[in-house]
Amino acid sequence: MSDIHDQQLEAMLRARRVEPASPELAERILLKAQGRPQNRTMPLRQWVQRLFAEFHLPQPAYVLACALMIGFIVGWTVSVPHTAEDATETLQAQSFLYVDEDIL
Amino acid sequence: MAADQTDQDDHDLLARIQDGNHHAFGVLVRRHTERFYRLAYRYVQRKDIAEDIVQDAFLKLWEHPGRWQAERHSKFTTWFYRIVVHLCLDWQKKKRPLALPAGLCLADTRDTPDAAMLRTQAQTLLEKEIAALPERQRTALNLCFDEELSNQEAAEVMGVHVKALQSLIMRAKARLKERMQRYG
Repeated sequence: MSDIHDQQLEAMLRARRVEPASPELAERILLKAQGRPQNRTMPLRQWVQRLFAEFHLPQPAYVLACALMIGFIVGWTVSVPHTAEDATETLQAQSFLYVDEDIL
Repeated sequence: MAADQTDQDDHDLLARIQDGNHHAFGVLVRRHTERFYRLAYRYVQRKDIAEDIVQDAFLKLWEHPGRWQAERHSKFTTWFYRIVVHLCLDWQKKKRPLALPAGLCLADTRDTPDAAMLRTQAQTLLEKEIAALPERQRTALNLCFDEELSNQEAAEVMGVHVKALQSLIMRAKARLKERMQRYG
């Protein structure tokens, strides 16, 4: 064993002894399973996948729905820029207030 | 083709197990018990423990059939090998290191005329050295020298690339050669 070559080692690895399993192992497993209830709670990820599978739509429909949603979100969140008319109204209101102040 | 058919059968059986079908579970257990036992035995080197590990793995599958997801796992055996390997490693973390059989005298091995005895002793030493390998190297070796697992499958079980697996095997073999030469 002083000079172990790859082939010798591989032969030894392949010749590793495995004590045979009891012939009734499979039956023992089945017998134990008989008395055990199943826990069928689905992991969240799997539940979501199944939910999507129920409402399966072609890909363009999802793209359209996403585009619409993004459009609505952007529309609601972005403030409308001030226009020239808004500025004029603000000035008028300010001058009205100043006039009131002078009178008082 | 036959292997593909078996995989498809396994997937069908698993779908039925998810519906609580005991008969399907029976077919799956009888079909695969032996191969998973062999793998477990290579880790633990004890028949009773290896049988307990395989039993635990199958009972977990029965109790939580939802853990198998056909969309995520390509083959039942690849997925289940992973479960068995984890159970073996868990067991090894809890137990004492593998002890050499009493009465094994290394210095006398060359003088023993019986070749079978020499071989047995060499195998015992080999098992001891395999048990001392780093966890990933040992797993790679156990999976690849199981006659039914290709490098590709073993790599899938371990969640690594084939090249990484080959590197692990090379390192394991180099280490074993070096260790075994010490007993010379």
